[in-house]
Amino acid sequence: MEKPVIETRHISKRFDMTQALCDVSLDLYPGEVHALVGENGAGKSTLIKILTGIHRPDEGEILLDGKAVQIHNSQDAQALGIAAIYQEPMVFPDLNVAENIFISHQDRGKFVRWGKMYKDAEAVLAKLDVKLNVRSQARGLTLAAQQAVEIAKAISLQARVLIMDEPTASLSAHEVQQLFKLIRSLRSQGVSILFIGHRLEEVFEISDRITVLRDGMKISSKLRSEATTEGVIRDMVGREIKDFFLKGATKRGDLLMSVRNLSKAGVFRGISFDVYGGEVLGFAGLIGSRRTDVCLALFGIEPADSGEIIFEGKPQKIRSPQQALELGITYASEDRRKLGLTMPMSIASNISLPMLPRYMNVLGLIRRHEEIAAAEEFRRRLMIRAESVNVPVERLSGGNQQKVMLSKWLNANPKVLILDEPTRGIDVGAKAEVHHMINDLTDRGLAVILVSSDLPEVLAMSDRILVMREGRQMGIFEKAQATEETIMTAAMGQNHNVAEVAA
Amino acid sequence: MLQKRNLFLNSLAKLKSWEGFLLFLLAVIFIINSQQTSAYLSVQNQINLFILSIEKIIVVLTMTFLIINAEIDLSAPSIMGLAACLMAWLYTQGVPLPLALAICLLVGVLCGLFNGLWIAYANLSSLVVTLAMLICYRGLARVFLEDKSIGGFPEWFNLLGQKPLIGPFPLAMIVFFVLLVIAVVILQYSGFGRHVFVIGNNAEVARYSGVRVKRVKMLLYVASGFVSALAGLLFAARLGAVRGDTALGFELDIITMVLLGGVSIFGGSGSLFGVFLSILIVLNLRNGMSLANLTGHLQTGVIGALLIFSVLAPNIFAQVRAAFRRRRVAAARDEAC
Repeated sequence: MEKPVIETRHISKRFDMTQALCDVSLDLYPGEVHALVGENGAGKSTLIKILTGIHRPDEGEILLDGKAVQIHNSQDAQALGIAAIYQEPMVFPDLNVAENIFISHQDRGKFVRWGKMYKDAEAVLAKLDVKLNVRSQARGLTLAAQQAVEIAKAISLQARVLIMDEPTASLSAHEVQQLFKLIRSLRSQGVSILFIGHRLEEVFEISDRITVLRDGMKISSKLRSEATTEGVIRDMVGREIKDFFLKGATKRGDLLMSVRNLSKAGVFRGISFDVYGGEVLGFAGLIGSRRTDVCLALFGIEPADSGEIIFEGKPQKIRSPQQALELGITYASEDRRKLGLTMPMSIASNISLPMLPRYMNVLGLIRRHEEIAAAEEFRRRLMIRAESVNVPVERLSGGNQQKVMLSKWLNANPKVLILDEPTRGIDVGAKAEVHHMINDLTDRGLAVILVSSDLPEVLAMSDRILVMREGRQMGIFEKAQATEETIMTAAMGQNHNVAEVAA
Repeated sequence: MLQKRNLFLNSLAKLKSWEGFLLFLLAVIFIINSQQTSAYLSVQNQINLFILSIEKIIVVLTMTFLIINAEIDLSAPSIMGLAACLMAWLYTQGVPLPLALAICLLVGVLCGLFNGLWIAYANLSSLVVTLAMLICYRGLARVFLEDKSIGGFPEWFNLLGQKPLIGPFPLAMIVFFVLLVIAVVILQYSGFGRHVFVIGNNAEVARYSGVRVKRVKMLLYVASGFVSALAGLLFAARLGAVRGDTALGFELDIITMVLLGGVSIFGGSGSLFGVFLSILIVLNLRNGMSLANLTGHLQTGVIGALLIFSVLAPNIFAQVRAAFRRRRVAAARDEAC
């Protein structure tokens, strides 16, 4: 048998608290399409970043043609013939196709020979059987065409290993087929492709081999002919539920909010669900399932185009966050740094921000002692570890920052609290505290919408789980029916019919 | 004993801050200047210093708000010029002066409103919008006065600009100190001021927290327009005559004073105390250089160098501090292992 082009041997990588990769060995043969699948956070991106020189492995080695190599940066990767293209093509919109193809070539002389460049660009595109005008600006090109330009760029650099990170995520069905044609032609020319995908049907269509990662470990690696959809899904989610706080059964309270047929053009459509007091409604789905966009519509940041929101029996048009806050809907963003907290400002001023008028006197001046007292209360209740509430938030650990953000929204006395990835990137201890807190809140009659990509977390915490996929609602599962398999099956778009039953 | 030591360390730590550095710089300038002539330290000289730049300094206050909010208003001096020119023109057309003054203040508000509309509601860059309006409002001012210089305003108006009103202080200085107090209260103690800081830090976090970002920006531009017009009218009263180029090019001095005061050009941080110190520094430095017979051009060069320094210095400070912290963390980690 042929020798592999590239091999990773026993690669491990750790970031602070999390083991991103653990002893992963992978090989890629010439002319092979090797698919890499796994849940969000399984370690796929870390592996790509190690292969392209963005991260260095803590342990293990990378072999190219059987020889160990060091990849320190993307220039090294390029020199070794490793290229990567991502979900969003990275072309320069104001340059033309030929310029984009040759942007990384430093060996074409001091002066640009335009005629030769256009001819060479045409030759590369012809080799790939892509019909594009090399003189047209990249700006007007479709996503698929931009990807073709990126692939041409990689080929012009003599890439032997092409890594494609979810290349189909934003393509239409027709464009996906074009891309697959391109991949097949590359394969026949002996290029090895590492294909990362979320859609299993595509993975099964294009790949020769399928490797599953879970929690940073390689779970299985099978030839396509030996793999089954069910088997792959089982390998992806087969984690045991442990370390998780199981939400106690709470009595379902009154109906707080009904959402009917909520839609936003090009983003999501046909979202319908009810939220009851004392209940956790989980939102499950993969990246790109548009769960966050639905939340933003409920909070008035990006209002929906059509559909109904009935809050406490009255139909409401939520057009701004102020309105949502007045109704009692709050949204804690997944992006703590960019959208959640003002990092250089104090804990107290972050907590009081949405409710600032509550702390102002008739002249509009802030009553500092009341503001501080409120913040102190939360510091005690949520056990925020900081020497005082006047400390800038940026000095706190991720878990404590998360608690400040939760305090900020709890301080607004919400009836419906939307938590978007509330435990992402925080350590196990803080995670457990957040779970306890959610339980506490529902005991007091609050409704929580929990958006999480951590499947065991959603399963453990939710009373019901709404599954989304690419802007569509795939179904709502009662706790009793929900298993990792059923949720993941719905999230990947398999067996659509089964999922509808509970809706 | 220990507490006393901490207190001492705390006050040292305060001096390490930007305001502390400005205080030190000001003290140096004071000492050097007072060596040159005994008249320098007299109250009258200090008041004169203020009066010579009082209109700019008034606009510095609103500019501070805008820059902390991560915006800017380059058109402020053009609004000053427009208000002054329009007032002079209206007066020559026979409009009673008090009415003309009121109209000009209103025009200032409208100018600010117009700036704010584009910036807050059309999401255009404030740099571009106010640069365009700097040209536009100035052009309008010149349309009213063409190449003429207009003076001969009523005696009471000129006296208002020149004569001491309360004690040794003329009207413009009283206006400045009243506005300064109001500005400190709003920026440092009010909910509105808090919103200004939050938006300057991160406008998206503000929006996601239910802050009415557009309204805050709008209000700031309206305030900037109004205060600029007021400053322009005070300038006319002090000079007794108005031309099309009244207050031309003031934006550079105004922005210099704000940035030297420690306000971040990226928004989100700064204090009026720092800005006030920076005003004193610029005024006294200019005065000292005049005493030393340095030419005006050279003075401008020195102020420019100071501005570059004021932008560079916090970066250098931060880098030094970060380097120390890194070393400490590394040491702690070695110990832990």
